[in-house]
Amino acid sequence: MNPLNESFNSILLVEDEESLARGLIYNLEAEGFRVHHVGDGLAALEAFHSQSFDLIILDIMIPHVDGFEVASRIRETDPQMPILILTARTTLKDRLKGLETGADDYLSKPFHLEELLLRVQGMLKRKSWYKKPLQDHPFYRFGDNEINFENLKCRAGRKSFILTPLEAMVMKYLIENKDRVISRRELLEKVWNITSEVETRTVDNFILRLRKYFEPDSSRPIYIKSVRGSGYIFSDH
Amino acid sequence: MIDSAPVVITFTGRIWQEEMKKQNSLFAYVLVFTLAQISWFFLLGLWIYWYVTNYLILNLVEEKITTEVVGGGANVFALVSGLILLVMISIGMSLIFIYLTKQMNITRLYDNFIANITHELKSPLASIQLYLETMRKRQIPDKVRNEFVAAMLEDADRLNKLITSILDISALEQKRIAYNFQVYEVDAIIKELIDYAIFQFKIDPKNVSFEGSAGCQSVIDRGAFQIVINNLFDNALKYSKSKFQLQVQLSRNPKNVLIKITDYGMGIPLNEQKNIFQKFYRIQSAAMPSVKGSGLGLYWVREIIRSHGGRISLYSAGESQGTAFTIELPIYKTSKKSYIKRLLKYSHQTKKQLDAMHEPVK
Repeated sequence: MNPLNESFNSILLVEDEESLARGLIYNLEAEGFRVHHVGDGLAALEAFHSQSFDLIILDIMIPHVDGFEVASRIRETDPQMPILILTARTTLKDRLKGLETGADDYLSKPFHLEELLLRVQGMLKRKSWYKKPLQDHPFYRFGDNEINFENLKCRAGRKSFILTPLEAMVMKYLIENKDRVISRRELLEKVWNITSEVETRTVDNFILRLRKYFEPDSSRPIYIKSVRGSGYIFSDH
Repeated sequence: MIDSAPVVITFTGRIWQEEMKKQNSLFAYVLVFTLAQISWFFLLGLWIYWYVTNYLILNLVEEKITTEVVGGGANVFALVSGLILLVMISIGMSLIFIYLTKQMNITRLYDNFIANITHELKSPLASIQLYLETMRKRQIPDKVRNEFVAAMLEDADRLNKLITSILDISALEQKRIAYNFQVYEVDAIIKELIDYAIFQFKIDPKNVSFEGSAGCQSVIDRGAFQIVINNLFDNALKYSKSKFQLQVQLSRNPKNVLIKITDYGMGIPLNEQKNIFQKFYRIQSAAMPSVKGSGLGLYWVREIIRSHGGRISLYSAGESQGTAFTIELPIYKTSKKSYIKRLLKYSHQTKKQLDAMHEPVK
Protein backbone atom coordinates (compact mmCIF):
# COMPACT_ATOMS: atom_id res chain seq x y z
CA MET A 1 0.00 0.00 0.00
CA ASN A 2 1.14 3.46 -0.73
CA PRO A 3 2.57 5.26 2.29
CA LEU A 4 0.58 8.33 1.32
CA ASN A 5 -2.64 6.57 2.03
CA GLU A 6 -1.83 5.65 5.59
CA SER A 7 -4.18 8.28 6.88
CA PHE A 8 -6.84 7.05 4.44
CA ASN A 9 -7.13 10.11 2.32
CA SER A 10 -10.71 10.63 1.31
CA ILE A 11 -11.73 11.46 -2.21
CA LEU A 12 -14.95 12.98 -3.47
CA LEU A 13 -15.77 11.39 -6.81
CA VAL A 14 -18.25 13.35 -8.93
CA GLU A 15 -19.18 11.21 -11.90
CA ASP A 16 -22.61 10.44 -13.31
CA GLU A 17 -21.52 7.58 -15.55
CA GLU A 18 -22.45 4.69 -13.27
CA SER A 19 -20.24 2.15 -14.93
CA LEU A 20 -17.15 4.33 -14.94
CA ALA A 21 -17.80 5.40 -11.35
CA ARG A 22 -17.96 1.79 -10.17
CA GLY A 23 -14.62 1.02 -11.80
CA LEU A 24 -13.02 4.13 -10.31
CA ILE A 25 -14.35 3.40 -6.82
CA TYR A 26 -13.02 -0.15 -7.00
CA ASN A 27 -9.55 1.04 -7.96
CA LEU A 28 -9.33 3.97 -5.58
CA GLU A 29 -10.48 1.81 -2.69
CA ALA A 30 -7.97 -0.83 -3.66
CA GLU A 31 -5.29 1.88 -3.34
CA GLY A 32 -6.49 2.59 0.17
CA PHE A 33 -8.54 5.73 -0.36
CA ARG A 34 -11.93 6.36 1.11
CA VAL A 35 -14.27 7.29 -1.73
CA HIS A 36 -17.51 9.18 -1.53
CA HIS A 37 -19.36 9.05 -4.83
CA VAL A 38 -22.05 11.45 -6.06
CA GLY A 39 -23.67 11.64 -9.47
CA ASP A 40 -24.50 15.32 -9.96
CA GLY A 41 -23.29 18.84 -9.29
CA LEU A 42 -25.75 19.71 -6.54
CA ALA A 43 -24.97 16.55 -4.60
CA ALA A 44 -21.27 17.31 -5.05
CA LEU A 45 -21.61 20.75 -3.48
CA GLU A 46 -23.72 19.34 -0.65
CA ALA A 47 -21.15 16.63 0.05
CA PHE A 48 -18.33 19.17 -0.12
CA HIS A 49 -19.99 21.39 2.47
CA SER A 50 -20.97 18.60 4.84
CA GLN A 51 -17.81 16.48 4.83
CA SER A 52 -14.12 17.02 4.47
CA PHE A 53 -12.11 15.62 1.59
CA ASP A 54 -8.49 15.59 0.57
CA LEU A 55 -9.12 15.61 -3.15
CA ILE A 56 -11.94 15.92 -5.65
CA ILE A 57 -12.22 14.06 -8.93
CA LEU A 58 -14.70 15.95 -11.03
CA ASP A 59 -16.52 15.23 -14.28
CA ILE A 60 -17.64 18.25 -16.31
CA MET A 61 -20.83 17.13 -18.00
CA ILE A 62 -22.86 16.35 -14.91
CA PRO A 63 -26.52 17.14 -14.22
CA HIS A 64 -27.88 20.26 -12.53
CA VAL A 65 -24.66 22.17 -11.94
CA ASP A 66 -21.82 21.50 -14.35
CA GLY A 67 -18.28 20.64 -13.30
CA PHE A 68 -16.83 24.08 -14.09
CA GLU A 69 -19.37 25.70 -11.82
CA VAL A 70 -18.76 23.13 -9.07
CA ALA A 71 -15.00 23.78 -9.29
CA SER A 72 -15.37 27.53 -9.09
CA ARG A 73 -17.82 27.38 -6.18
CA ILE A 74 -15.50 25.05 -4.30
CA ARG A 75 -12.62 27.45 -4.99
CA GLU A 76 -14.60 30.27 -3.43
CA THR A 77 -14.68 28.53 -0.06
CA ASP A 78 -11.57 26.38 -0.29
CA PRO A 79 -8.80 27.69 -2.52
CA GLN A 80 -6.52 24.83 -1.52
CA MET A 81 -8.65 21.82 -2.36
CA PRO A 82 -6.91 19.77 -5.07
CA ILE A 83 -9.33 19.29 -7.95
CA LEU A 84 -8.73 16.84 -10.78
CA ILE A 85 -11.01 17.30 -13.75
CA LEU A 86 -11.76 14.06 -15.54
CA THR A 87 -13.71 14.61 -18.70
CA ALA A 88 -14.38 13.64 -22.27
CA ARG A 89 -14.37 17.29 -23.27
CA THR A 90 -10.95 17.93 -24.65
CA THR A 91 -11.10 21.13 -26.64
CA LEU A 92 -8.58 23.84 -25.85
CA LYS A 93 -11.45 26.06 -24.75
CA ASP A 94 -12.58 23.47 -22.20
CA ARG A 95 -9.07 22.98 -20.89
CA LEU A 96 -8.55 26.69 -20.45
CA LYS A 97 -11.90 27.01 -18.76
CA GLY A 98 -11.00 24.14 -16.43
CA LEU A 99 -7.75 25.78 -15.37
CA GLU A 100 -9.39 29.16 -15.14
CA THR A 101 -12.06 27.91 -12.75
CA GLY A 102 -9.33 26.60 -10.51
CA ALA A 103 -8.81 22.96 -11.34
CA ASP A 104 -5.29 21.76 -10.62
CA ASP A 105 -5.15 19.07 -13.22
CA TYR A 106 -7.05 17.94 -16.28
CA LEU A 107 -7.25 14.34 -17.47
CA SER A 108 -9.24 13.43 -20.54
CA LYS A 109 -11.32 10.31 -21.07
CA PRO A 110 -10.45 7.65 -21.97
CA PHE A 111 -7.50 7.61 -19.58
CA HIS A 112 -4.96 5.09 -18.33
CA LEU A 113 -5.56 3.76 -14.84
CA GLU A 114 -1.88 4.11 -13.87
CA GLU A 115 -1.80 7.71 -15.02
CA LEU A 116 -4.90 8.55 -13.01
CA LEU A 117 -3.49 6.96 -9.86
CA LEU A 118 -0.14 8.72 -10.33
CA ARG A 119 -1.80 12.07 -10.73
CA VAL A 120 -4.01 11.55 -7.70
CA GLN A 121 -0.99 10.62 -5.63
CA GLY A 122 0.99 13.48 -7.11
CA MET A 123 -1.69 15.95 -6.19
CA LEU A 124 -1.95 14.65 -2.64
CA LYS A 125 1.83 14.76 -2.30
CA ARG A 126 1.90 18.33 -3.53
CA LYS A 127 -0.80 19.22 -1.08
CA SER A 128 1.37 18.03 1.79
CA TRP A 129 4.50 19.44 0.21
CA TYR A 130 3.48 23.05 -0.10
CA LYS A 131 2.31 22.96 3.50
CA LYS A 132 5.80 22.03 4.67
CA PRO A 133 7.28 25.24 6.04
CA LEU A 134 10.35 26.77 4.50
CA GLN A 135 13.36 26.18 6.77
CA ASP A 136 11.02 25.44 9.67
CA HIS A 137 9.41 28.78 9.24
CA PRO A 138 5.87 29.02 7.89
CA PHE A 139 6.30 32.65 6.84
CA TYR A 140 8.37 33.97 4.04
CA ARG A 141 8.92 37.69 3.63
CA PHE A 142 10.36 39.65 0.76
CA GLY A 143 9.96 43.37 0.24
CA ASP A 144 6.48 44.34 1.33
CA ASN A 145 5.21 40.82 0.81
CA GLU A 146 4.54 37.98 3.17
CA ILE A 147 3.47 34.45 2.35
CA ASN A 148 2.21 31.96 4.91
CA PHE A 149 2.74 28.51 3.47
CA GLU A 150 0.61 26.94 6.21
CA ASN A 151 -2.65 28.42 5.05
CA LEU A 152 -1.50 30.16 1.85
CA LYS A 153 -2.58 33.56 3.14
CA CYS A 154 -0.53 36.38 1.73
CA ARG A 155 0.00 40.03 2.25
CA ALA A 156 1.37 42.42 -0.33
CA GLY A 157 1.56 45.90 1.14
CA ARG A 158 -1.98 46.46 2.37
CA LYS A 159 -3.55 43.86 0.14
CA SER A 160 -4.22 40.43 1.54
CA PHE A 161 -5.28 37.37 -0.42
CA ILE A 162 -4.99 33.60 -0.61
CA LEU A 163 -2.91 31.69 -3.14
CA THR A 164 -4.16 28.59 -4.88
CA PRO A 165 -2.10 25.45 -4.22
CA LEU A 166 -0.49 25.61 -7.63
CA GLU A 167 0.40 29.26 -7.27
CA ALA A 168 1.84 28.52 -3.86
CA MET A 169 3.89 25.68 -5.23
CA VAL A 170 5.29 27.73 -8.08
CA MET A 171 6.17 30.46 -5.59
CA LYS A 172 7.70 28.00 -3.16
CA TYR A 173 9.81 26.39 -5.86
CA LEU A 174 11.06 29.79 -6.99
CA ILE A 175 11.89 30.78 -3.43
CA GLU A 176 13.63 27.52 -2.61
CA ASN A 177 15.78 27.97 -5.68
CA LYS A 178 16.30 31.67 -5.38
CA ASP A 179 19.06 33.39 -7.35
CA ARG A 180 19.12 30.45 -9.76
CA VAL A 181 17.65 30.50 -13.26
CA ILE A 182 14.79 28.04 -13.53
CA SER A 183 13.54 26.94 -16.90
CA ARG A 184 9.88 26.62 -17.75
CA ARG A 185 10.41 22.93 -18.36
CA GLU A 186 11.89 22.48 -14.91
CA LEU A 187 8.93 24.22 -13.34
CA LEU A 188 6.55 22.04 -15.31
CA GLU A 189 8.32 18.89 -14.23
CA LYS A 190 8.85 19.80 -10.62
CA VAL A 191 5.61 21.61 -9.85
CA TRP A 192 3.05 20.27 -12.28
CA ASN A 193 4.67 16.86 -12.24
CA ILE A 194 3.98 16.51 -15.95
CA THR A 195 5.76 17.18 -19.14
CA SER A 196 3.47 16.84 -22.10
CA GLU A 197 0.04 17.80 -20.85
CA VAL A 198 0.53 21.42 -19.93
CA GLU A 199 2.04 23.83 -22.38
CA THR A 200 4.89 26.05 -21.32
CA ARG A 201 2.49 28.95 -21.87
CA THR A 202 0.71 27.85 -18.71
CA VAL A 203 3.89 28.55 -16.74
CA ASP A 204 4.05 32.06 -18.20
CA ASN A 205 0.46 32.65 -17.20
CA PHE A 206 1.18 31.61 -13.63
CA ILE A 207 4.24 33.84 -13.48
CA LEU A 208 2.15 36.74 -14.77
CA ARG A 209 -0.36 36.10 -12.04
CA LEU A 210 2.29 35.89 -9.33
CA ARG A 211 3.91 39.13 -10.51
CA LYS A 212 0.56 40.82 -10.33
CA TYR A 213 0.30 39.71 -6.71
CA PHE A 214 3.76 40.52 -5.45
CA GLU A 215 5.47 43.01 -7.73
CA PRO A 216 5.01 46.71 -7.08
CA ASP A 217 4.95 47.17 -10.86
CA SER A 218 4.23 43.94 -12.67
CA SER A 219 5.50 45.22 -15.99
CA ARG A 220 8.90 45.92 -14.41
CA PRO A 221 9.41 43.00 -12.05
CA ILE A 222 12.07 43.17 -9.39
CA TYR A 223 11.51 39.83 -7.62
CA ILE A 224 10.48 37.39 -10.36
CA LYS A 225 12.58 38.33 -13.35
CA SER A 226 12.58 36.77 -16.79
CA VAL A 227 15.82 35.49 -18.17
CA ARG A 228 15.57 35.70 -21.90
CA GLY A 229 15.48 32.32 -23.58
CA SER A 230 16.06 30.44 -20.33
CA GLY A 231 13.27 30.95 -17.85
CA TYR A 232 12.79 32.81 -14.60
CA ILE A 233 14.84 33.79 -11.62
CA PHE A 234 13.65 34.80 -8.16
CA SER A 235 15.61 37.08 -5.89
CA ASP A 236 14.36 38.76 -2.74
CA HIS A 237 16.61 41.76 -2.69
CA MET B 1 -10.61 36.57 -2.27
CA ILE B 2 -7.67 36.27 -4.55
CA ASP B 3 -7.35 38.72 -7.27
CA SER B 4 -6.58 36.36 -10.11
CA ALA B 5 -7.41 38.94 -12.71
CA PRO B 6 -4.39 38.79 -15.03
CA VAL B 7 -4.62 35.15 -15.88
CA VAL B 8 -8.37 35.28 -16.16
CA ILE B 9 -7.96 38.02 -18.66
CA THR B 10 -5.43 35.98 -20.58
CA PHE B 11 -7.57 32.87 -20.62
CA THR B 12 -10.93 34.45 -21.18
CA GLY B 13 -9.20 36.84 -23.50
CA ARG B 14 -8.52 34.06 -25.91
CA ILE B 15 -12.05 32.67 -25.65
CA TRP B 16 -13.41 36.15 -25.96
CA GLN B 17 -11.34 36.66 -29.07
CA GLU B 18 -12.85 33.51 -30.56
CA GLU B 19 -16.33 34.75 -29.73
CA MET B 20 -15.45 38.09 -31.23
CA LYS B 21 -14.21 36.39 -34.36
CA LYS B 22 -17.57 34.66 -34.70
CA GLN B 23 -19.42 37.89 -34.08
CA ASN B 24 -17.12 39.71 -36.45
CA SER B 25 -17.79 37.21 -39.18
CA LEU B 26 -21.54 37.68 -38.69
CA PHE B 27 -21.03 41.43 -38.76
CA ALA B 28 -18.98 41.06 -41.93
CA TYR B 29 -21.81 39.12 -43.59
CA VAL B 30 -24.36 41.75 -42.68
CA LEU B 31 -22.00 44.49 -43.84
CA VAL B 32 -21.35 42.80 -47.19
CA PHE B 33 -25.08 42.27 -47.63
CA THR B 34 -25.89 45.88 -46.83
CA LEU B 35 -23.12 47.20 -49.06
CA ALA B 36 -24.25 44.96 -51.89
CA GLN B 37 -27.80 46.22 -51.53
CA ILE B 38 -26.61 49.82 -51.48
CA SER B 39 -24.54 49.26 -54.58
CA TRP B 40 -27.51 47.69 -56.34
CA PHE B 41 -29.67 50.65 -55.51
CA PHE B 42 -26.90 52.94 -56.66
CA LEU B 43 -26.70 51.04 -59.95
CA LEU B 44 -30.47 51.21 -60.22
CA GLY B 45 -30.36 54.98 -59.72
CA LEU B 46 -27.56 55.26 -62.23
CA TRP B 47 -29.55 53.20 -64.67
CA ILE B 48 -32.65 55.41 -64.35
CA TYR B 49 -30.53 58.55 -64.50
CA TRP B 50 -28.80 57.31 -67.63
CA TYR B 51 -32.12 56.45 -69.19
CA VAL B 52 -33.75 59.78 -68.36
CA THR B 53 -30.81 61.89 -69.59
CA ASN B 54 -30.51 59.84 -72.75
CA TYR B 55 -34.21 60.09 -73.26
CA LEU B 56 -34.00 63.89 -73.04
CA ILE B 57 -31.05 64.03 -75.43
CA LEU B 58 -32.81 61.69 -77.76
CA ASN B 59 -35.89 63.87 -77.55
CA LEU B 60 -33.80 66.89 -78.52
CA VAL B 61 -32.23 65.15 -81.47
CA GLU B 62 -35.42 63.31 -82.34
CA GLU B 63 -36.47 65.82 -84.95
CA LYS B 64 -33.14 65.60 -86.69
CA ILE B 65 -32.94 61.81 -87.11
CA THR B 66 -35.35 59.19 -88.26
CA THR B 67 -37.86 57.64 -85.88
CA GLU B 68 -36.50 54.10 -86.47
CA VAL B 69 -33.23 54.92 -84.78
CA VAL B 70 -34.82 56.51 -81.72
CA GLY B 71 -37.09 53.49 -81.24
CA GLY B 72 -38.86 54.68 -78.08
CA GLY B 73 -40.34 51.16 -77.65
CA ALA B 74 -36.92 49.55 -77.55
CA ASN B 75 -35.74 52.03 -74.92
CA VAL B 76 -38.64 51.24 -72.62
CA PHE B 77 -37.86 47.58 -73.10
CA ALA B 78 -34.25 48.18 -72.07
CA LEU B 79 -35.34 50.06 -68.99
CA VAL B 80 -37.86 47.44 -67.91
CA SER B 81 -35.56 44.48 -68.50
CA GLY B 82 -32.75 46.26 -66.69
CA LEU B 83 -35.01 46.94 -63.75
CA ILE B 84 -36.23 43.34 -63.65
CA LEU B 85 -32.65 42.12 -63.73
CA LEU B 86 -31.66 44.35 -60.83
CA VAL B 87 -34.69 43.35 -58.79
CA MET B 88 -33.93 39.68 -59.42
CA ILE B 89 -30.34 40.11 -58.36
CA SER B 90 -31.56 41.86 -55.24
CA ILE B 91 -33.97 39.01 -54.45
CA GLY B 92 -31.19 36.51 -55.11
CA MET B 93 -28.94 38.31 -52.68
CA SER B 94 -31.66 38.26 -50.03
CA LEU B 95 -32.20 34.54 -50.52
CA ILE B 96 -28.50 33.84 -50.22
CA PHE B 97 -28.44 35.86 -47.03
CA ILE B 98 -31.38 33.94 -45.55
CA TYR B 99 -29.81 30.56 -46.35
CA LEU B 100 -26.47 31.70 -45.05
CA THR B 101 -28.07 32.60 -41.73
CA LYS B 102 -29.76 29.21 -41.59
CA GLN B 103 -26.51 27.48 -42.45
CA MET B 104 -24.70 29.33 -39.71
CA ASN B 105 -27.33 28.25 -37.24
CA ILE B 106 -26.93 24.64 -38.30
CA THR B 107 -23.16 24.92 -38.00
CA ARG B 108 -23.54 26.16 -34.44
CA LEU B 109 -25.82 23.24 -33.55
CA TYR B 110 -23.45 20.89 -35.31
CA ASP B 111 -20.53 22.06 -33.16
CA ASN B 112 -22.67 21.28 -30.15
CA PHE B 113 -23.47 17.89 -31.59
CA ILE B 114 -19.81 17.07 -32.10
CA ALA B 115 -19.06 17.95 -28.47
CA ASN B 116 -21.98 15.83 -27.26
CA ILE B 117 -21.27 12.89 -29.50
CA THR B 118 -17.59 12.92 -28.54
CA HIS B 119 -18.67 12.70 -24.94
CA GLU B 120 -21.18 9.94 -25.65
CA LEU B 121 -18.58 7.90 -27.52
CA LYS B 122 -15.72 8.46 -25.11
CA SER B 123 -17.57 7.74 -21.87
CA PRO B 124 -18.32 4.05 -22.52
CA LEU B 125 -14.86 3.69 -24.05
CA ALA B 126 -13.25 5.15 -20.92
CA SER B 127 -15.22 2.73 -18.79
CA ILE B 128 -14.24 -0.31 -20.87
CA GLN B 129 -10.60 0.74 -20.83
CA LEU B 130 -10.68 1.25 -17.07
CA TYR B 131 -12.12 -2.22 -16.45
CA LEU B 132 -9.61 -3.89 -18.75
CA GLU B 133 -6.68 -2.10 -17.13
CA THR B 134 -8.05 -2.95 -13.70
CA MET B 135 -8.21 -6.62 -14.65
CA ARG B 136 -4.64 -6.50 -15.88
CA LYS B 137 -3.33 -4.67 -12.82
CA ARG B 138 -5.09 -6.51 -10.02
CA GLN B 139 -6.06 -9.94 -8.79
CA ILE B 140 -9.82 -9.85 -8.89
CA PRO B 141 -12.22 -12.39 -7.37
CA ASP B 142 -14.42 -14.19 -9.91
CA LYS B 143 -17.61 -12.55 -8.74
CA VAL B 144 -16.21 -9.04 -9.24
CA ARG B 145 -14.69 -10.08 -12.54
CA ASN B 146 -18.10 -11.15 -13.78
CA GLU B 147 -19.55 -7.80 -12.74
CA PHE B 148 -16.80 -6.03 -14.66
CA VAL B 149 -17.44 -8.10 -17.76
CA ALA B 150 -21.16 -7.36 -17.54
CA ALA B 151 -20.46 -3.64 -17.22
CA MET B 152 -18.13 -3.74 -20.22
CA LEU B 153 -20.69 -5.57 -22.32
CA GLU B 154 -23.26 -2.93 -21.38
CA ASP B 155 -20.88 -0.19 -22.45
CA ALA B 156 -20.10 -1.96 -25.71
CA ASP B 157 -23.82 -2.25 -26.35
CA ARG B 158 -24.25 1.46 -25.68
CA LEU B 159 -21.51 2.29 -28.14
CA ASN B 160 -23.03 0.02 -30.73
CA LYS B 161 -26.48 1.56 -30.33
CA LEU B 162 -25.13 5.05 -30.69
CA ILE B 163 -23.09 4.26 -33.79
CA THR B 164 -26.00 2.39 -35.36
CA SER B 165 -28.35 5.28 -34.70
CA ILE B 166 -26.01 7.79 -36.32
CA LEU B 167 -25.63 5.58 -39.38
CA ASP B 168 -29.38 4.90 -39.54
CA ILE B 169 -30.26 8.57 -39.36
CA SER B 170 -27.83 9.34 -42.12
CA ALA B 171 -29.35 6.53 -44.24
CA LEU B 172 -32.83 7.84 -43.50
CA GLU B 173 -31.84 11.33 -44.62
CA GLN B 174 -30.37 10.09 -47.86
CA LYS B 175 -33.37 7.80 -48.41
CA ARG B 176 -31.08 4.78 -48.53
CA ILE B 177 -32.98 2.93 -45.84
CA ALA B 178 -34.61 -0.40 -46.64
CA TYR B 179 -38.13 0.15 -45.39
CA ASN B 180 -40.40 -2.68 -44.56
CA PHE B 181 -43.87 -1.16 -44.50
CA GLN B 182 -46.78 -3.47 -43.92
CA VAL B 183 -50.44 -3.19 -43.05
CA TYR B 184 -51.05 -3.78 -39.34
CA GLU B 185 -53.95 -3.68 -36.90
CA VAL B 186 -52.96 -0.57 -34.99
CA ASP B 187 -54.16 -1.72 -31.54
CA ALA B 188 -52.24 -4.99 -31.69
CA ILE B 189 -48.98 -3.70 -33.14
CA ILE B 190 -48.71 -0.70 -30.82
CA LYS B 191 -49.38 -2.91 -27.79
CA GLU B 192 -46.67 -5.28 -28.99
CA LEU B 193 -44.12 -2.51 -29.57
CA ILE B 194 -44.85 -1.02 -26.18
CA ASP B 195 -44.56 -4.37 -24.42
CA TYR B 196 -41.18 -4.82 -26.06
CA ALA B 197 -40.03 -1.37 -24.94
CA ILE B 198 -41.19 -2.19 -21.39
CA PHE B 199 -39.11 -5.37 -21.55
CA GLN B 200 -36.06 -3.62 -23.01
CA PHE B 201 -36.00 -0.76 -20.53
CA LYS B 202 -36.77 -3.11 -17.63
CA ILE B 203 -39.75 -0.97 -16.64
CA ASP B 204 -42.31 -2.23 -14.15
CA PRO B 205 -45.37 -2.88 -16.40
CA LYS B 206 -47.56 -1.40 -13.67
CA ASN B 207 -46.11 2.00 -14.47
CA VAL B 208 -47.34 1.97 -18.05
CA SER B 209 -51.06 2.20 -18.66
CA PHE B 210 -52.65 1.39 -22.00
CA GLU B 211 -56.03 2.85 -22.85
CA GLY B 212 -58.44 3.20 -25.73
CA SER B 213 -58.42 1.61 -29.12
CA ALA B 214 -58.17 2.78 -32.71
CA GLY B 215 -59.91 -0.24 -34.24
CA CYS B 216 -58.42 0.22 -37.68
CA GLN B 217 -55.39 -0.52 -39.82
CA SER B 218 -52.33 1.53 -40.67
CA VAL B 219 -49.20 1.04 -42.69
CA ILE B 220 -46.24 0.79 -40.37
CA ASP B 221 -42.58 -0.16 -40.56
CA ARG B 222 -42.31 -2.25 -37.44
CA GLY B 223 -38.58 -1.83 -36.87
CA ALA B 224 -38.65 1.91 -37.42
CA PHE B 225 -41.71 2.36 -35.22
CA GLN B 226 -40.01 0.46 -32.41
CA ILE B 227 -37.28 3.10 -32.59
CA VAL B 228 -39.93 5.80 -32.21
CA ILE B 229 -41.48 4.14 -29.17
CA ASN B 230 -38.07 3.41 -27.62
CA ASN B 231 -36.92 7.00 -28.03
CA LEU B 232 -40.06 8.40 -26.45
CA PHE B 233 -39.80 5.91 -23.57
CA ASP B 234 -36.11 6.68 -23.12
CA ASN B 235 -36.82 10.41 -22.93
CA ALA B 236 -39.63 9.86 -20.45
CA LEU B 237 -37.30 7.77 -18.29
CA LYS B 238 -34.46 10.28 -18.50
CA TYR B 239 -36.61 13.26 -17.67
CA SER B 240 -38.83 11.83 -14.95
CA LYS B 241 -37.30 12.91 -11.66
CA SER B 242 -38.70 10.47 -9.15
CA LYS B 243 -41.97 8.99 -10.25
CA PHE B 244 -41.98 7.30 -13.64
CA GLN B 245 -45.44 6.85 -15.05
CA LEU B 246 -46.46 6.57 -18.69
CA GLN B 247 -49.87 6.66 -20.23
CA VAL B 248 -50.47 5.37 -23.76
CA GLN B 249 -53.81 6.30 -25.33
CA LEU B 250 -55.09 5.12 -28.69
CA SER B 251 -57.91 6.81 -30.57
CA ARG B 252 -58.82 7.86 -34.08
CA ASN B 253 -60.42 10.65 -36.02
CA PRO B 254 -61.93 10.32 -39.51
CA LYS B 255 -58.52 10.36 -41.21
CA ASN B 256 -55.87 9.47 -38.66
CA VAL B 257 -54.96 7.13 -35.87
CA LEU B 258 -53.86 9.05 -32.77
CA ILE B 259 -51.26 7.57 -30.44
CA LYS B 260 -50.75 9.73 -27.38
CA ILE B 261 -47.90 9.02 -24.99
CA THR B 262 -47.99 11.08 -21.81
CA ASP B 263 -45.37 11.21 -19.07
CA TYR B 264 -45.37 13.03 -15.76
CA GLY B 265 -41.77 14.12 -15.98
CA MET B 266 -40.08 17.48 -16.15
CA GLY B 267 -42.00 18.81 -19.11
CA ILE B 268 -40.59 21.09 -21.76
CA PRO B 269 -40.35 24.86 -21.36
CA LEU B 270 -42.79 26.62 -23.70
CA ASN B 271 -40.10 28.56 -25.53
CA GLU B 272 -38.18 25.37 -26.32
CA GLN B 273 -41.10 23.37 -27.68
CA LYS B 274 -40.76 24.51 -31.25
CA ASN B 275 -37.07 23.62 -31.30
CA ILE B 276 -36.88 20.18 -29.83
CA PHE B 277 -37.51 18.24 -33.03
CA GLN B 278 -34.71 20.15 -34.69
CA LYS B 279 -31.62 18.17 -35.57
CA PHE B 280 -28.81 18.38 -32.96
CA TYR B 281 -30.96 20.60 -30.73
CA ARG B 282 -30.63 20.17 -26.99
CA ILE B 283 -32.29 22.11 -24.21
CA GLN B 284 -29.69 23.89 -22.08
CA SER B 285 -31.14 24.19 -18.63
CA ALA B 286 -29.75 23.66 -15.17
CA ALA B 287 -33.00 22.01 -14.13
CA MET B 288 -32.52 19.18 -16.60
CA PRO B 289 -31.36 16.05 -14.81
CA SER B 290 -29.49 14.72 -17.80
CA VAL B 291 -27.21 16.85 -19.83
CA LYS B 292 -26.16 14.06 -22.10
CA GLY B 293 -27.39 12.92 -25.44
CA SER B 294 -26.76 13.45 -29.10
CA GLY B 295 -29.63 15.79 -29.86
CA LEU B 296 -30.75 13.35 -32.53
CA GLY B 297 -33.48 11.30 -30.79
CA LEU B 298 -36.56 13.43 -31.40
CA TYR B 299 -35.34 14.50 -34.82
CA TRP B 300 -35.08 10.83 -35.72
CA VAL B 301 -38.55 10.16 -34.31
CA ARG B 302 -40.05 12.97 -36.39
CA GLU B 303 -38.33 11.82 -39.58
CA ILE B 304 -39.58 8.26 -39.13
CA ILE B 305 -43.14 9.44 -38.48
CA ARG B 306 -42.93 11.69 -41.55
CA SER B 307 -41.81 8.76 -43.66
CA HIS B 308 -45.01 7.03 -42.51
CA GLY B 309 -47.00 9.96 -43.87
CA GLY B 310 -47.82 11.03 -40.34
CA ARG B 311 -46.87 13.80 -37.97
CA ILE B 312 -45.85 14.19 -34.36
CA SER B 313 -46.69 17.03 -32.03
CA LEU B 314 -46.19 17.68 -28.36
CA TYR B 315 -48.02 19.34 -25.58
CA SER B 316 -46.47 20.40 -22.33
CA ALA B 317 -47.83 23.06 -20.02
CA GLY B 318 -44.23 23.96 -19.17
CA GLU B 319 -41.51 22.86 -16.79
CA SER B 320 -42.44 20.04 -14.35
CA GLN B 321 -45.83 19.67 -16.01
CA GLY B 322 -45.15 16.46 -17.91
CA THR B 323 -45.16 16.03 -21.67
CA ALA B 324 -47.65 14.48 -24.06
CA PHE B 325 -46.49 13.40 -27.51
CA THR B 326 -49.21 12.74 -30.07
CA ILE B 327 -48.43 10.70 -33.16
CA GLU B 328 -50.86 10.84 -36.05
CA LEU B 329 -50.76 8.10 -38.65
CA PRO B 330 -52.94 7.93 -41.75
CA ILE B 331 -55.61 5.23 -41.60
CA TYR B 332 -55.07 2.59 -44.27
CA LYS B 333 -57.26 3.04 -47.35
CA THR B 334 -58.76 6.22 -45.91
CA SER B 335 -56.21 8.98 -46.10
CA LYS B 336 -53.06 9.65 -48.13
CA LYS B 337 -53.97 6.67 -50.28
CA SER B 338 -51.49 7.16 -53.09
CA TYR B 339 -48.60 7.89 -50.74
CA ILE B 340 -49.32 4.77 -48.68
CA LYS B 341 -49.67 2.71 -51.83
CA ARG B 342 -46.24 3.87 -52.92
CA LEU B 343 -44.78 2.94 -49.52
CA LEU B 344 -46.17 -0.57 -49.76
CA LYS B 345 -45.02 -0.98 -53.32
CA TYR B 346 -41.56 0.28 -52.46
CA SER B 347 -41.30 -2.06 -49.46
CA HIS B 348 -42.42 -4.97 -51.59
CA GLN B 349 -39.75 -4.21 -54.18
CA THR B 350 -37.05 -3.86 -51.55
CA LYS B 351 -38.07 -7.14 -50.00
CA LYS B 352 -37.88 -8.87 -53.37
CA GLN B 353 -34.42 -7.45 -53.99
CA LEU B 354 -33.24 -8.54 -50.56
CA ASP B 355 -34.68 -12.03 -51.04
CA ALA B 356 -32.94 -12.30 -54.39
CA MET B 357 -29.67 -11.26 -52.78
CA HIS B 358 -29.97 -13.87 -50.07
CA GLU B 359 -31.03 -16.68 -52.35
CA PRO B 360 -28.37 -19.42 -52.35
CA VAL B 361 -26.38 -19.70 -55.55
CA LYS B 362 -27.26 -22.88 -57.40
